[in-house]
Amino acid sequence: MKAILFVFPFVLAVAYFPISQCQNLPLIEQTCKQTPYYGLCVTLLKSDPRSKTAGDVQAIALIMVDIIKAKAGGALQHIEKLKQKYPALRVPLSACKDRFNAIIIGDVPQAVEALTKGDPKFAVDAANDAALEADSCERGFSGKSPITQMNKLNHDISIITASIVKTML
Amino acid sequence: MANFYLSLFLFFALFLGHGVVELQASHHVYRNLQTSQSTSPNQPYRTGYHFQPPKNWINDPNGVMIYKGIYHLFYQYNPKGAVWGNIVWAHSTSKDLINWIPHDPAIYPSQQSDINGCWSGSATILPGEKPAIFYTGIDPHNRQVQNLAVPKNLSDPYLREWVKSPKNPLMAPDAMNQINTSSFRDPTTAWLGPDKRWRVIIGSKINRKGLAILYRSKDFVHWIKAKHPLHSVKGTGMWECPDFFPVSTYGLNGLDTSDMGPNTKHVLKVSLDDTKHEYYTVGTYSTAKDRYVPDEGSVESDSGLRFDYGKYYASKTFFDGAKNRRVLWGWVNESSSVNDDVKKGWAGIQAIPRKLWLDKSGKHLVQWPVVEIEKLRVNQVQVPSKLLKGGSVIEVTGVTAAQADVEISFDVSDFKKAEKLDPGWTNPQLLCSQKGASVKGALGPFGLLALASKDLKEYTAVFFRIFKGEDNKFVVLMCSDQSRSSLNSDNDKTTYGAFLNVDPVYEKLSLRSLVS
Repeated sequence: MKAILFVFPFVLAVAYFPISQCQNLPLIEQTCKQTPYYGLCVTLLKSDPRSKTAGDVQAIALIMVDIIKAKAGGALQHIEKLKQKYPALRVPLSACKDRFNAIIIGDVPQAVEALTKGDPKFAVDAANDAALEADSCERGFSGKSPITQMNKLNHDISIITASIVKTML
Repeated sequence: MANFYLSLFLFFALFLGHGVVELQASHHVYRNLQTSQSTSPNQPYRTGYHFQPPKNWINDPNGVMIYKGIYHLFYQYNPKGAVWGNIVWAHSTSKDLINWIPHDPAIYPSQQSDINGCWSGSATILPGEKPAIFYTGIDPHNRQVQNLAVPKNLSDPYLREWVKSPKNPLMAPDAMNQINTSSFRDPTTAWLGPDKRWRVIIGSKINRKGLAILYRSKDFVHWIKAKHPLHSVKGTGMWECPDFFPVSTYGLNGLDTSDMGPNTKHVLKVSLDDTKHEYYTVGTYSTAKDRYVPDEGSVESDSGLRFDYGKYYASKTFFDGAKNRRVLWGWVNESSSVNDDVKKGWAGIQAIPRKLWLDKSGKHLVQWPVVEIEKLRVNQVQVPSKLLKGGSVIEVTGVTAAQADVEISFDVSDFKKAEKLDPGWTNPQLLCSQKGASVKGALGPFGLLALASKDLKEYTAVFFRIFKGEDNKFVVLMCSDQSRSSLNSDNDKTTYGAFLNVDPVYEKLSLRSLVS
């Protein structure tokens, strides 16, 4: 008998939760408001299932770092294809390959360790560097880049991440 | 060393040359450390006499001390690459603060209390000349805790091996003390109070309030948190690498960290996580209340006094009993991209160590590079006094421009020309950014163009400008203008600046520049 009475309030409480809570929207919206690309930030996080159970800003930041990693990996694959397609752009494409590689082997591990162990300033630096690498990749084409959209996306995602981590300092 | 006296306003250019190295400190190649990446053979940016290991990432100086006449420098080091991570305490020793012998890392993860990282900390020399290191460890739950390590063998002058207390962590966040598990780090050198209890402070924050958490102990093993912090300031954010030490009110000598005689003041320095700048205040340590009180008029924020107004962080001092001086170390991070750091295989250097003492005004500290640096000088080049015409540039020849120790002074005569200092120009760094080396002025810019390329497309300008301030007093601005330091657009070319505490009417403006 006691067991049933105890369980009931929990069941009622869950039923009354508005649907938006299941998507963790307040945390996502609050966090994304601190960034210069609110729309992109919300879109990225909403489409990542992990954000539904993210409990705090640190968790959100780690998701963003993982998105940086995934997008940088995608950039590397795309660059390999373009090297075949545009042999004349080999030099700037190679430079871009180095930069996205640096994001994956340098910036991402630094950001993850900094966030999980509690020294977020190193994650801010890493995210800012990731944005810089994407910008530098773009500049290497002197205006004739075949990957402008991709570079801008990588840049913006990195800036979003840096802004989010700055709130943890 | 180049020695010259000049009048009026001009630039000297130290042209980048190739040739025999004239200033070279030694840091023998590591034999034992494993690294997964090799460095590129072409290394034009390594310094000649600043402390840096052969490869990989470094940051904060740690546990700086002298033991049996040998200086010890530990530092945050990543054995696996050129970014921050996998941090251990690397270790080097020296007889002169300039030439170093590397040893195996002294402190690396080996206990639960530091299994996820061995972060910054300090050394205390206990009675009987027994060093003890307190450092922040990252435990299996990624909480920041404080651990104790002591030398395994006190008769090894290099103190190569350290053993950790089985009681670690000696300080940890818990439900009782409510300490934030990710804001509790960087223990200082401990000091002994008149009650024979040891004290140590650890950097922390509560929301936006930065604080120095105070712990006390009778035996250096059992520590009890004080009810109040040593000091705290609202709105300053996380306090990293606190440093708390006494200074003598007369003379240039340093004091032991436990000194609290009648002719002492105290200094508290913190590194601000928010801004990556440090600030310090001069004040009084009340042993009765166990609190630090900054002097009236102290600025407690990013706008406060700094040991160094350039790229400089995580500084730490120690008392050098052999030479009765307090010595300051600090970390300088890279201005290059991570891509470049990974390619060159290293990142970060330690700044030149400086002697630190209280100015006779009692209001701020003064520093000077340790005298041992002068041992490295060879091939003196003397340039006779010159009258400098506005807009001119004079090349100094006969020096290896990338490794020089320059002493120069400027004697200004015509102060009537000085432009007025706008009362709104209160931020010297901003002022230097707006009025860089290429912006003409009335009295200035004059100074050095260091690390200049032959065509002057790249140079680092270190210069002065004199303004007329209020009450017919003159204000001197010193700038380090990096805006043209490199053609590489990836690099951080932040310009730095500070107002100087000097009256140019009565004193020559003298500049010492260590180019490396």
